[in-house]
Amino acid sequence: MINNLIPNPDTIQVSWIYFQILLLLTTPIHFFFMNAVLGSAGIASYLHFKKDEKAKKLAHHIAIFLPLAVAFAVNFGVAPLLFAQVLYGQFLYTSSVLMAVFWISIIAILIIAYYLAYYYDFSFEKLGEKGKWIILLSFVLFIIIAYFFTNNMLLMLLPETFPKWFKNMGGTILASSDRVFLPKYFHNLAGAMAIGGLFVALISCFKSKKDKEIADYGKEVGLKTFFYFTLINIEFGLWQFLTIPGSIRRGLIGGSTSGTVVFVIALLSILLALVFSWKKNLKLTAIFGLTALLFMSFVRDFVRQGYLKDYFSPSSLKVVNDYSPLVFFLVIFLIGIFVAYWLIKKAIEAFN
Amino acid sequence: MNYPVWFLPAIGGGTLIAFIAIVHVFVSHFAVGGGAFLIALEKKAYKEENKEMLEIVKRFARFFILLTMVFGSITGVGIWFITALVNPGGISFLIHNFVFGWAAEWVFFVLEIIAAFVYYYTFGKMDRKTHLKVGWIYFISAWMSLFLITGIIDFMLTPGKWLESHTFWTGFFNPSLFPSVFFRTFMSFLMAGVFGLFVLSFYEKSAAKEKFVKYSSLWVIISIILMIPFALWYVSVLPVEAKSLVMGKSPTIVITKQVLTYSSIAGILLGAIVYLKPDFNKFFVSLIIFLAGFLIIGSFEWTREAARRPYVINKVMYSNMIFENEVESLKSEGFLKKAKWVSIRNITDENKIQAGKEIFIHQCYACHTIGGFNNDIKERAKSMSYTALARYIEKIHKVRYFMPPFAGTKEEAKALAAFIAGDLLGKEVKEPESQKLDGKTIFENNCSSCHEVEDFEDLISGWSKEKVRKALDMLDKLNEEMPPFEGTPKEKDTLTEYLLKISGGEK
Repeated sequence: MINNLIPNPDTIQVSWIYFQILLLLTTPIHFFFMNAVLGSAGIASYLHFKKDEKAKKLAHHIAIFLPLAVAFAVNFGVAPLLFAQVLYGQFLYTSSVLMAVFWISIIAILIIAYYLAYYYDFSFEKLGEKGKWIILLSFVLFIIIAYFFTNNMLLMLLPETFPKWFKNMGGTILASSDRVFLPKYFHNLAGAMAIGGLFVALISCFKSKKDKEIADYGKEVGLKTFFYFTLINIEFGLWQFLTIPGSIRRGLIGGSTSGTVVFVIALLSILLALVFSWKKNLKLTAIFGLTALLFMSFVRDFVRQGYLKDYFSPSSLKVVNDYSPLVFFLVIFLIGIFVAYWLIKKAIEAFN
Repeated sequence: MNYPVWFLPAIGGGTLIAFIAIVHVFVSHFAVGGGAFLIALEKKAYKEENKEMLEIVKRFARFFILLTMVFGSITGVGIWFITALVNPGGISFLIHNFVFGWAAEWVFFVLEIIAAFVYYYTFGKMDRKTHLKVGWIYFISAWMSLFLITGIIDFMLTPGKWLESHTFWTGFFNPSLFPSVFFRTFMSFLMAGVFGLFVLSFYEKSAAKEKFVKYSSLWVIISIILMIPFALWYVSVLPVEAKSLVMGKSPTIVITKQVLTYSSIAGILLGAIVYLKPDFNKFFVSLIIFLAGFLIIGSFEWTREAARRPYVINKVMYSNMIFENEVESLKSEGFLKKAKWVSIRNITDENKIQAGKEIFIHQCYACHTIGGFNNDIKERAKSMSYTALARYIEKIHKVRYFMPPFAGTKEEAKALAAFIAGDLLGKEVKEPESQKLDGKTIFENNCSSCHEVEDFEDLISGWSKEKVRKALDMLDKLNEEMPPFEGTPKEKDTLTEYLLKISGGEK
C-alpha cells in the first residue's frame, strides 16, 4: 500500500551526487541565518523586557540586523529547498500536500513576522516600551514557523503516515504525534537560540569602535546564550537520538563509517565550542560552533536517508545526462561570488 | 494521479494560485523596473544637484526595500509553495528539467538582496559613481531573474523544439521567450512608473516632487506604448490552439482582453494628463493609474495562463497532472488500475459513486470546484442527465478543446458521471433500458452539455423544419464553437422533431 502511494520521481539532469553536494553545501548556510533570526529575535525580546538601558541598546542593535538575517534566511532557504525537491520531491511534495493548510500559512506568518521585524527596527525609538511586544510577537511567529517546518521535514520521512490522506484530504495532517517530533522540535529551537546567541555576539563586534560597552555586553550575552542553550540542547539531542529508529541510531555509533565520522566530528565540535564559549573566546566559539552546525546538518542528511532507505535512495534516480546547464550554473555562481564580494567590500568601505 | 490532491471542494486550487500569483507578479515586476527607476531618479537628482530630489529618491528607496524585500520575495516563495501544493506533478516536472535555471536565478536573487541592502543603507555614505554602480548591479540581477524565470514560464506555454529534443536549452530558448522578456521588461517599467506616481501622491508639494511626477508619468505612457508591439509578437508565436483561444475562442480571454485594452487606454490618458498637469496626481488619480497597472498585469497573466489550457505544460502535461502520452494507456487499461492515491481499483455497483469521486478529485478538481464560485461543477452539469454526462465525459476534449481528455475506461466515465449526476446533483443514476433513442435522449446526449431546453424558444424561433434539419448537418459552420453532430440521418430527423417541439413548434 505505502509503496503504491509514493509518487514516481522525475528524471534528473545530472548525477544525484552533484545535487547531494549542492544540498549539503547550501543547507547549513540556511540553518545559520534561520537560527540567527529565531535566536536573536528571542534574545532581543528578553533584552527589551529587562528594565535596563544597556539591554535596550543591545536590543536596538539586534533590531538593525534582524531584517537582514530574515532576508538571507529566506534567500538561502531557496537553494536547499530546490535541491531537496530534486532529490526527494516525491516525499516532500506529498508531505506538503498532507499538511497544506499549515504549510501555505507559513507565507502569511512570515510576511507578518518580517514586517514586524522591520517595524521594530525602523520605529525602535518611537515604539518605546511597546517595542517589546512587537519583537515578542515576531519571535512567537518564528517559533510557529519552526513548528510547521519541523512537522513537514519529519512528515516527509514517514511514508507510513501517507494513507491518512484518504481520511483527511483537507491538508491538516501533522507529524506532531510521532515520538520523534517533540525532541526534534525542541532540539531545533534550542539550537536556534544557541546560534542566535553566537550571531548576537558576532554582530556586536560592529559596535566595538563606536560603543565598546554595548559591544562587550553583546558579546557576553551572546556567548552566555550560546553556552547555556547548547548545554540544554545536548539533552534534547540525546532525547532525539534515543527516539529515532534503532537502525539509524546504530549507524551513527559505529554501524556506518560515514555516519559515525560526521556524528563524532559534530559532537567534538560542540564540546570545543562549549569550552571556548565558557572562556569567552568568540573567534574559536564561532569556528567550532559553525563546524558543529555544518556537521549536524550532515548528520541530519544521514538520518533522512536512513528513514527513507526502505523506500528509496537518491542514487536510484534516472539521469538524462544534460551537463551543460550545470556548467552554466557554476559559471553564474562564480560570477555571483565575485560580485557579492565587491558589493560587501564597497559597503564596508562606505561605513568606515 | 501520481500525487495526493489538496482537496478543498468549495475553494479549488486555481483560486489559491491566482490570489498569490497576481499580487506577486505585480510587486515582482516593480522589483525589476523599480531598480532602473531608482537609478534614473538618482542620476537626475545628481545632474540637477538637487538635494530635495535626492531626499525623495532615498525615501522611495526605503519604500522599495520594504515592499520588494518583504512582500515581493516572500510571495515569490509563496507561489512556489502554492503551485507545489496545487500541482505538485507540474512543478516537479519543471524543477527536474530546469533546476539549474532556477539555481542560477537563485544566485541573482542573492545578488539582488545584497545590492538592494547596500544601495539603501549606503545612500549618502558612498561616492556617487559607486552607489550608481550598486544600483545597476541590483537592476541587472533583478532583470536576469526575470529573464530566467520567463524562460521557464514560457516553456510551459510554448515548449517548441523541446518536444523533440528534451534538452534544457531548447526548452529555455522557446519561441515565446524573447517577445515575453521584452514585454515583461516594459511591463516592469510600467510598474515602476505606476508605483512612482502612487507613492509621490503622498508627498508634500514641492518643485522636486513635480519633476518626478512628470518623469514617472512618462514611464507609464512610454512603457504601455512599447508593450504593444511585443504583445503582438507574443501572440504571433503562440501555437495554433492557444492563438485561437486568445483570438476569441475563449469567452473569458475575450473579456480579459477588453480589460487589458481599457486599462491601457486609461493608463495612457491619465498618465498624459498628469504629465501636463502634475498637480492632478492626487491620491485618487494615482490610485486609478495604479489599478490600471494592476489590471494590465493581471489580465496579461490571466490570458497567458488561460491560453495554455487544457495543459499545464503545453503538449506535455494536462492541468490535472496527467501526461499527454499517458492518456491512451489510461483509456485502455483504466485510470483506477494505474493511478496512485486511489483506494478503489475495481468498480462495483456498491462503490461506483466513491470511485467516481476519486476520479473527480484527480481529473476534474484541478479546474472545477464543488459548489464554489469558480467553475462550479454542479452549475456546469446541472442540465445533464447521468447518461448524457457519461457520454459527454468520453468526448469532452473533442467538444471543448480547453478541457483535458478523460483518461479512463467507459466504465470509469460512467462512475464519474454517477458521482456528478447522482451524488452531487441528486439525479437518477440508471442505465438506459433500450438502445432506441428518442428526441429527448438524443438531445441530452449531444446538446445538453452546452444548451438548456429553454434556450431553444429563442434560438430557433421562427425556423422551419427544413432549416433546423439542415442546420444539424452543418453545426460547426454555424458556429465554430460547436462540434459537428455525429448521429445518423434518422437521429437527426428525430432530434429535429424534438427541437421544434421544445421551441414551441414549427412556425
